[in-house]
Amino acid sequence: MPTDTKPKVATARRVTAELQHQIEQHYYTEARMLQDELFREWLEQLVAPDIHYWLPVYEQRFRRDKRPAPTPDDAAIYNDDYAMLKMRVERLYTGQVWMEDPPSRIRYSISNVEAYHTEIPGELQVYSNFTIQRHRRQTEHYTHTGGRQDLLRQDGTTFKLARRKIDLDARVVQDKNLYFFA
Amino acid sequence: MLDLDELVNNDGSEQSREIFWNQDLYQLEIERIFSRCWLFLTHESLIPKYGDFVSARMAEEEIIVCRQKDDTIRAFINSCTHRGNQVCHAESGNARAFICNYHGWAYGTDGALVDIPLEQRCNAQVNKEDCGLPQVRVESYRGFLYGCFDAEAPNLEEYLGEFGWLLDTWMIGAGNGVELLGPPSKSVLDCNWKVPAENFVGDAYHVGWTHAAALEVMGGELAGLAGNRADMPFDDMGKQFTTRHGHGFGVINNAATSIHIDRADYDTFMAEQLPKVAENLGEARADLFNGHWNCTLFPNNSFLYGTNTFKVWHPRGPHQIEVWSWTLVHKDMDRELRKKIQIGAAFTFGTAGTLEADDGENMMTCTHSNRGSVTRRGTLRSTMGLNHEGPHPDYPGIVGASFIGETSYRGFYRFYKEILKAQSWDAVRDNDDSWDSTFENRDFWKNRPTAS
Repeated sequence: MPTDTKPKVATARRVTAELQHQIEQHYYTEARMLQDELFREWLEQLVAPDIHYWLPVYEQRFRRDKRPAPTPDDAAIYNDDYAMLKMRVERLYTGQVWMEDPPSRIRYSISNVEAYHTEIPGELQVYSNFTIQRHRRQTEHYTHTGGRQDLLRQDGTTFKLARRKIDLDARVVQDKNLYFFA
Repeated sequence: MLDLDELVNNDGSEQSREIFWNQDLYQLEIERIFSRCWLFLTHESLIPKYGDFVSARMAEEEIIVCRQKDDTIRAFINSCTHRGNQVCHAESGNARAFICNYHGWAYGTDGALVDIPLEQRCNAQVNKEDCGLPQVRVESYRGFLYGCFDAEAPNLEEYLGEFGWLLDTWMIGAGNGVELLGPPSKSVLDCNWKVPAENFVGDAYHVGWTHAAALEVMGGELAGLAGNRADMPFDDMGKQFTTRHGHGFGVINNAATSIHIDRADYDTFMAEQLPKVAENLGEARADLFNGHWNCTLFPNNSFLYGTNTFKVWHPRGPHQIEVWSWTLVHKDMDRELRKKIQIGAAFTFGTAGTLEADDGENMMTCTHSNRGSVTRRGTLRSTMGLNHEGPHPDYPGIVGASFIGETSYRGFYRFYKEILKAQSWDAVRDNDDSWDSTFENRDFWKNRPTAS
């Protein structure tokens, strides 16, 4: 699975234990907001206006294949700015998303949080893993695993999400859609 | 034992629920539809150079499509002729050979068996010439590559017939035509393959209700459909078409770009192209160029021209499909516009699309509610606009009066039954002159005062 090479783990400066704790707590709060369908609050309080929210499509290629990893110019499942995320969020409040009525359940487990300072003060490069469980209707159950590479911006005592790259482990998505925020 | 005559009624407006559930019927579909019809493989632009390949699928068969040294394209079955192992696991790339992981048998880019390890020393006793990867007929229509397993099938151009004439509107109508951007996104959906195929062939009816939420938030011309609340002159807003071999589409006039969120440059592009279409192909097709088209190329290749999504519904048994989605763009669009189109198409009809997300559950329960044998005794109907359709003075095939109607459903299921019953392509050819006789109102357009 290709990942960004910056920051170099050997040289990048890890955050302090206290900051690490704050970031982890931030992620747990974010997950709980999404579990509780507080989508507007999530967007307004935790997402920066210059967000790039990106879930690229990875093709399975031979190791010898030298073509570069996907960029935001290539095929993606999410390649959103703030306005697009806002439309996705507002759609959920129209009262006309029939497949979410009765509502489905979603549960996030966030782990492997690894945070580094970047060259820009107050901006943090954060890696994490997720397991997302979706339960719908009577018996439908879907599991999604993957990793995230975030750029978090410190905002007083909290953080704003400025970049999120989501690497989904499954090539063929085992779910009827990926309309959730990872 | 299934009575094929009972599966679909004569005019295609009523179907047995068995067609969405029955395992024996599924096997018959594989033999008589998917092993006989032209199935989408890839686009020429995705394998531009010698040795470029993609792994494609034809129903449940794994296929390699590869460009040859002489620039022709071959397709062959991705399964070693020794013990059956798949010989290529990459989805695309450039290869000089395909080497099986099991014993190292090597096949050329043309699928020929070129090397058997230890062949002489261990007395392999294989005639290499007979053991190439089985070849599949492959033909291109305007750069779109399709494969066919049946040597007796008509060529691709004949298979598309008048549908091809209609697709030419945007495939060659202006500039240098269209192509696909990959790699495809892929997902599994627990539905019968015909549910999305029928939806794309002729279901503008569901748009206002199923997609009400997205249309309301995104705005655009189609927002007026949201919730089915508007009182609209539907008969003047678009048409439906069905042609020989079950292909069909619905068109909503002047709505091509309507569900793109960042569409100013796209609108400009379309306005520039429109006069060229009139010049190249005439007014009838120019009138369709700026419309939004929902299409199915029989059996399982569906696309939205305007919204730019291009899909194949690969069957995986009667109750599941794999969805592969590419982005459809005009070759003459510049890099920035192509990127906008690709992002916009994914935003609406990608795996997390604001509209696509609405469809999955409908398609799933339209399939799985038929698991009950009592429920399955019932039938389903697609009668909307029945007889409000007929041969048209300006267009081929059968043309329905409204984009909200089920004309092209009926054309799809009429052919579905015809090809399931046919013993061979010759039996299908016997109906070439009379296929549309089930659309009985022959003078519908002649008698329609506002016909346009």
